[in-house]
Amino acid sequence: MSEAPSKSPNQSPDAVVWLEQHGDYLFKYAVFRLRDPTAAEDAVQETFLAALKAYEKFEGRGSERTWLVGILKHKITDHFRRSTREAPIGEGEDDGPEHAEFFTRTDEWEHHWNKNYAPTDWHATPAQLLEQGDFWRVFSDCLSPLPERTASAFALREVDGLTSEEICEALGITVNNLWVMLHRARLHLRNCLELNWFKRAAGGQ
Amino acid sequence: MKIGWYEKIKHAIRYWLLRRLPPCKQTVEVISQSFERQLSLRERVTLKLHLWICAWCQWYLEHLEIIRNSMREKGAESPEMDFPSAPTLSSEARERIKRQLTREKH
Repeated sequence: MSEAPSKSPNQSPDAVVWLEQHGDYLFKYAVFRLRDPTAAEDAVQETFLAALKAYEKFEGRGSERTWLVGILKHKITDHFRRSTREAPIGEGEDDGPEHAEFFTRTDEWEHHWNKNYAPTDWHATPAQLLEQGDFWRVFSDCLSPLPERTASAFALREVDGLTSEEICEALGITVNNLWVMLHRARLHLRNCLELNWFKRAAGGQ
Repeated sequence: MKIGWYEKIKHAIRYWLLRRLPPCKQTVEVISQSFERQLSLRERVTLKLHLWICAWCQWYLEHLEIIRNSMREKGAESPEMDFPSAPTLSSEARERIKRQLTREKH
């Protein structure tokens, strides 16, 4: 921290160094959850401002980044609260694609898996997937066709491990609504990953 | 010959079960909910039976677990978060935030 750049004597060295060191990380973190670059920029800015005001409370306990991420999480939840107030969602309103085509509709096996969409063996463990940076690009691409709120609910639940209650509170939805959103997100994501990652990895068999 | 009969009976039991249990479309909904709440005893038994005879739904469950576990690990603020293609702060945004921070300080 001692070699902080001091371009202008008025600048707070801490804040500028923070921006250099953690700006991109916090931005990626926010984009992954908010799925909106503008909202993510705002959240990062609010985080730094709040951090600047509360710096005495930090007192160097733990890593700076962890502390900043903690503040960012609150800012992200605040964003959802605000947008929910501005545009409350109706029950069942665009929760994501239903993917009815995944299941047969006519023959004796109605509502069972359609062979063309049925899951196959992935031959993979989470550890193996994490090693491959490319996997996360496919993952991100797969999330993008989902409605913003569905993708966000999914990210808050699966990445941050928030409880159903916390997410419902932040998004202003009922728990049943959340379950429908999560189910559709999973149905879509699993299929998309299989098509774009596993089939490709297996040589397009 | 004996094995042939055994296989036939097993197949018949599976078929019989599959015709009576909730179909895959409902089962995957229950699988998803099993990640959110405690299933009732009835739901658990039905799910177990369905999974016993349906490899597709078995894989479905396994894949959801893989997705959850890899995402949770990623969420633990590991450096893997920095996957190369992720977007970064634009220079305009960076400047704007820098100005804000400098102004705020005074």
